[in-house]
Amino acid sequence: MRQAQYGLVLLVILILPPVANLLESIMITHMHMQMPLLVLAGFLIAKFFQIKYPQFFEKWNANGLPGLLLFIIITGYWTIPRTMDETLTMASVEAFKFFSLPFLAGVPLRDSWPKLSSFWKNGIIIFFAILYLGMGWLYIWSPEQLCNNYLLIEQITLGWGFLTTAVCMVIYLGYSYFIDFTQYETES
Amino acid sequence: MMLKNRTALSSLLVLLFGVVLFYIGTDGFQAYTAETARVNQLMEDKPQFPDVTLEDNKARKYTFSEFEGKYVFITFLYTACGTVCPELEMNMFGVYDRLPEEYIGKDIQFLSISFDPDRDDPETLDSYRKMFKSDGETWRMARITDKDELNELLDRFGVTVIPDNNGNFAHNSAFYLVNPQGRLIDVMDYKRIEEAAEQVTSILDDEAGDEK
Repeated sequence: MRQAQYGLVLLVILILPPVANLLESIMITHMHMQMPLLVLAGFLIAKFFQIKYPQFFEKWNANGLPGLLLFIIITGYWTIPRTMDETLTMASVEAFKFFSLPFLAGVPLRDSWPKLSSFWKNGIIIFFAILYLGMGWLYIWSPEQLCNNYLLIEQITLGWGFLTTAVCMVIYLGYSYFIDFTQYETES
Repeated sequence: MMLKNRTALSSLLVLLFGVVLFYIGTDGFQAYTAETARVNQLMEDKPQFPDVTLEDNKARKYTFSEFEGKYVFITFLYTACGTVCPELEMNMFGVYDRLPEEYIGKDIQFLSISFDPDRDDPETLDSYRKMFKSDGETWRMARITDKDELNELLDRFGVTVIPDNNGNFAHNSAFYLVNPQGRLIDVMDYKRIEEAAEQVTSILDDEAGDEK
């Protein structure tokens, strides 16, 4: 239960206006720090819901796929350039961000992950690696400025952030393919 | 409830939620960037050009009602801009050049508005206009000295201007067409000169047809 409390504290800190403003003032920290941290907060808070409502997750997310789907939809939604712009100009969109990323992405991810087979786990990482390569390409080489509230140079920085994240995922996939993790676990 | 295949059902519900979410978030799969959404919204709202005081390249001062009864073709710029603005103005000349001559000055006015009034005084604007073959009459360049009035206009027309730390501005660019009653009726892609020229010509032709 302690980690659920940590998650809640993290969420509250992220919502504090000075913290939110700081992270949102730079495009790459907005997308690659604030948003993942919100998901992490939900990931920690998930423990609370799992203990409180075990049947709900057991019944409706038995194989983990609905939760995974929800996670993909929410994170995909927040990669649309417009949604990021509108969090800065519309309070309702900002509120939806602070709700959806922890509770509709972080919580279902936590519940789904252990239930998924390695086929799905690797599939999802491959999916995000491809998506992020595409986003990186879009943000770096797009002839247009996609967000009105950020400078073009920030857009390019974010693009490189996407590309490096995608590269890291590919490295992980290669690593997990060639290295036998079970060896570590038996010796420890 | 006697349900089976619950996970399939919940997956379906999640998927449905996703479709609705994306539908709402992109105005029915129309606008994936705020800029598209902005232009769509402007076309719907048709905002009125506020009655601001302009100071043009000949240091003449007048309000926007100076152009009442004419269409006004507008761009927003600042002269210290080294990137988009020269292209924007070149393209504006492209439209100016393609319109039938009889309409210029009589039915349509060209106007470039600076959002950097501190640096863009009438002399600066006058030397800038010459680079783009603007005659300073049928195509004027002007600044709005009152900051509140300027911001009101930028806000109504959805022009986002962000100063960076090097004395430059990041801003969105487009061709704006205001009708003789002072309402914004069209926002056009500034990179498509032909298209914009055709669009404006057809509007002016219609107008001329009505008068006959």
